[in-house]
Amino acid sequence: MEPSSAEALLAVHDLHVSYGRIRAVQGVSLTVPDAAVVALIGANGAGKSTLLRAISGIVRPRQGAIRFRGENLVGLPVHQIARRRVIHVPEGRGMLTRMTVLENLRLGSFARSGRADTALELDRVFALFPVLDRRRGQLAGSLSGGEQQMLAIGRAMMARPRLLMLDEPSLGLAPLLVREIFRIIPRLTAEGTAVLLVEQNARMALQCAAHAYVLQTGRVVLSGRAADLLAAPEVQRAYLGAG
Amino acid sequence: MVVSEVFFVFLVVDGALAGAIYALVALAFVVVYKASRMINFAVGEWTMVGSRVAASASHAFGLGLGGALGLGCVGMVALALVFNRVVLRPLISRSLLSLIMVTIGVGIFMRGAATVVFAGIPARIASPFPLDPLVVGGLPVSVDKIVAAAIAGACIAALSWFFHGSRTGLALRAVASDQQAALAVGIDLHRHFAITWALVGVLSVLAGTLWSFASGGGFGIELLGLKVFPIVILGGLDSLPGTIIGAFFVGILESLAAGYIDPLVGGGFSHVASYVALIAVLFVRPYGLFGRPDVERV
Repeated sequence: MEPSSAEALLAVHDLHVSYGRIRAVQGVSLTVPDAAVVALIGANGAGKSTLLRAISGIVRPRQGAIRFRGENLVGLPVHQIARRRVIHVPEGRGMLTRMTVLENLRLGSFARSGRADTALELDRVFALFPVLDRRRGQLAGSLSGGEQQMLAIGRAMMARPRLLMLDEPSLGLAPLLVREIFRIIPRLTAEGTAVLLVEQNARMALQCAAHAYVLQTGRVVLSGRAADLLAAPEVQRAYLGAG
Repeated sequence: MVVSEVFFVFLVVDGALAGAIYALVALAFVVVYKASRMINFAVGEWTMVGSRVAASASHAFGLGLGGALGLGCVGMVALALVFNRVVLRPLISRSLLSLIMVTIGVGIFMRGAATVVFAGIPARIASPFPLDPLVVGGLPVSVDKIVAAAIAGACIAALSWFFHGSRTGLALRAVASDQQAALAVGIDLHRHFAITWALVGVLSVLAGTLWSFASGGGFGIELLGLKVFPIVILGGLDSLPGTIIGAFFVGILESLAAGYIDPLVGGGFSHVASYVALIAVLFVRPYGLFGRPDVERV
């Protein structure tokens, strides 16, 4: 049940990424359809984060193509990719810790062209995360881990992303906060944003995604509908801690 | 007031007026440091060339002060943009040390080139202000200095608004704070480095010209660069308000040292006073008076 690449928003084809002699990603192909959630699961070091870093232009692939709405992103500078509203929320969240919550959110709108009105987006973010409204004047670095994750997602929303890439949004958060973060994802897709989700918490990721890919040492070893993967014995054994 | 009190107030006012101009030079240094962590050792030379370009514009076209400053800014912004594009941009991925060495080289080049390019052209714009000092509350204060300080103060206010009230200023602060994060939200670093250097061009013209009024040619403008280091280090290197306060602090300190200590030691102490204060402050607060040690939750 692969989504066909004709309708894909993002189509990664035969991507290879190396750090020196270490081959982190070895021939990965995947597609993300419009307004869908696609999960990437796999153990530490499987190449999930590297894949996101390649898509957002932080690392340059050795080989392969990354097509976004038909255009190859390989070789474009990071800020140009962000301006296509492909927004990466990295592990560690990439906040400007010495700037305020409000300033961080305002910066999120830089990915949109022109002098877009930020007031509407701000209202949307504050409606979703009231805690950010209360802390708008506070330095981002002084927020708790959960609040920083909300700020990171809120800042990404300011760009009205076409593709949002979330790297380990649940990392280091209490279970209640994890649910809070995952509650947001369906709302984003309802507004037309596609989400590429990298998660250690495979169960939550598969429950929330339509499609999923399992990565192992830089290769896709399994892919398909998330519901099917959730039921697959090899996934249950390796990633869901069953039997 | 007793004579000694009048003398004290005179020294403080005189120092504060000089401090306003120091602040402009120091801001030219700090905007570059914040944007790229680059230490511009040539900030004094930039200021010198800025004043010479404005003076040349004035003498060549018979312009008044406003016109000369305007044309000078156009020239210096052009020079700064070319410098950024031709010299700095190819070095951007190299070590910070090579960038810093380049500024020293450029400084020497600017001094040498200035003596050739500006040969025979008056170095200063004739001051359009009355020579007789204004007497305020029994204190004689030269009009040149007051006007220079007022213009400097207006520039500082405009710059503060620019950094904290405008979209471009917000982007510049993001670049200063974390380049990777700035890129990730879609900010073009090269464009903002160019804006930073354009600011340096404008500040050079203003600070250089104002200093040529206020100093009366006391010492070479390029030595203003040396004043910048105690100011920015006291101010904490990356704090704009700290820089401005540091500039006034150094201006007043020098003035007091010149008034009280120089006569005792036969002169010259005023030039090192700020460095003595600098060493004392660094013992107590290694990140400067207004710099913040990074506070961050991990």
